[in-house]
Amino acid sequence: MTSYVSILYLLIFLPAVLLVYNVLPKKYRPVILLLASYAFFWSISRKLLVFLLVSTVSIHHIGLWLTAVQNERNDVLAQTERSGKKAVKARYIRKQRWIVFFAACVHVGTLLVLKYSGFFGRNINALLTTAGVGLSVPILKLAMPIGISFYTMQAMSYVFDVYRETTKADKNLGRLALYMAFFPTIMEGPICRYSDDAEQLWEGRRSTLENLTFGAERILYGVFKKIIIADRLNIMIKILYSGYADYDGGMMAVAAIAYTCQLYMEFSGTMDVVIGSAELFGVVLPENFRHPFFSKSISEFWTRWHITLGTWFRDYVFYPLSMSKPLKKLTSKARKKIGNHFGPLIAGTMALFVVWLFNGLWHGAGWHYIFFGMYHLVLIVAANFVEPFTREFLEKIHIRREEGPYRIFRMIRTALLVCIGELFFRAEGLRAGLCMFKKMVTQFTLRSFTDGTIFSLGMDKLDFIVAALAVIFVFAVSVVSERGTDVRKVLSTKRRIIRWAVCYGLILCCIIFGAYGMNYTPVDPIYAGF
Amino acid sequence: MKEQIIEILEDIQPEADYETCKTLIDDHILSSLDVLSLVAELEDEFDVTIPTVEVIPSNFNSVDAIAAMVERLQEEG
Repeated sequence: MTSYVSILYLLIFLPAVLLVYNVLPKKYRPVILLLASYAFFWSISRKLLVFLLVSTVSIHHIGLWLTAVQNERNDVLAQTERSGKKAVKARYIRKQRWIVFFAACVHVGTLLVLKYSGFFGRNINALLTTAGVGLSVPILKLAMPIGISFYTMQAMSYVFDVYRETTKADKNLGRLALYMAFFPTIMEGPICRYSDDAEQLWEGRRSTLENLTFGAERILYGVFKKIIIADRLNIMIKILYSGYADYDGGMMAVAAIAYTCQLYMEFSGTMDVVIGSAELFGVVLPENFRHPFFSKSISEFWTRWHITLGTWFRDYVFYPLSMSKPLKKLTSKARKKIGNHFGPLIAGTMALFVVWLFNGLWHGAGWHYIFFGMYHLVLIVAANFVEPFTREFLEKIHIRREEGPYRIFRMIRTALLVCIGELFFRAEGLRAGLCMFKKMVTQFTLRSFTDGTIFSLGMDKLDFIVAALAVIFVFAVSVVSERGTDVRKVLSTKRRIIRWAVCYGLILCCIIFGAYGMNYTPVDPIYAGF
Repeated sequence: MKEQIIEILEDIQPEADYETCKTLIDDHILSSLDVLSLVAELEDEFDVTIPTVEVIPSNFNSVDAIAAMVERLQEEG
């Protein structure tokens, strides 16, 4: 079971768990979900399940430890005079920070060792060789448990929230275990906070007809996006990215756009399957996408694409850094000298640098991922820097930035910038990414579109037509949703024959036009690799 | 206090209805950099220190929430 869009998951595992879940009495339902989640994890990572178990026990203990310190602080505060309260608070904050630091060492440390030791080892060895030192560090090949990048972030968010006292530490180890391991989210997120789903999961509510209908529809839509569009584009993308030297700049532009399209359809499609799966059990998960290609700026794009990752970095890295004492002082001084807009930009840029470095590295251990992060940092900081000038200029020439053609221009500009970023993201190394980008800019021709090259990349005319029509369909649904219409709710008000026609239509499309079977190799989920 | 806060907010980001909006952070009406400006302004204007643990979406989602946080911090001294 290596994908949420596999026959084994969709037609056997998920229905079986759903059936047992609903047949059993309420008190056993969370237990079934937990056992199913561990079985799911075991089916992919076998004995590496022990990492997840250790993480769960660890945050359970750390949460209770933080609460004990907070309770002790409250007792001491109750017996302290007003003048001494500040000192008491500071003392206990220091104590709690050490506990959070310990948690970070355990959880982030494990992730660092398993995911990045090879990358850092190779780079250290390259440095030692360049410096002429005859030493090298051993490169360890370590197996990674599935979803470690995701569940580590969930674990740390729980610890941070208990430290901030926005979440109470959970005494119930089972509830915490289910929050960490819930099978639909374990492989690719969304990265949930404890307050998002832990209580709902443990409630064991029976699935209602609405849960089942809405959940199944959402799953179907996700499968449609993934197997008709994302998996179909996979062959062409593989050829273009591995053999980029043989193609011209026009094909590099196709590579950038096609991969962006594949990544969106694959990841948002998988999120539809994940959120739909949870919905079957009556559990509402946070959304991870909000029509990102309607964004008018890169900053806005990242509030609509992989939302839970962005908010995680915002809440647990950006704010704590930019609000730290030294950066706050810097902001305060800078505001007095260079004004309210540019003042906070200096400290903000420093914090954003760390956020985008982490964001790049989170996606993988490679320089092209770091470049991907830095690329977005530069775009966001540049946009913030020119913002007052842009606003003034547009007012002078009487253009309303939120309306009409200028708004569309901003959306297209953002989409193109995103495609360039994704070109580096998918490239097989930073050097390959830079070569591809250079080709796209300096050797751009349309020759490959007319001499038949475009149809020699594993996709024939029919494949392009099917993919294009499917993209238009998804785009149309996105336009309707963006305008505030809940498509599934509207569908539920229609006559039964229309509802079934839509569902059967989608199922038939997936069966007839899905990229599976003899001519296609199964495509591994992209984000599960992060 | 609320009027002062609205004035500060309008100076930072003029394109929002601060009287009614309850999702300033959740709906990304205020960007992360806007929050930095806001915190600096609030600290100057109301003579409080806003610690990092207070910089969470629920404290900045509406003018009421911001005012409540500032009042609480003033009381705590």
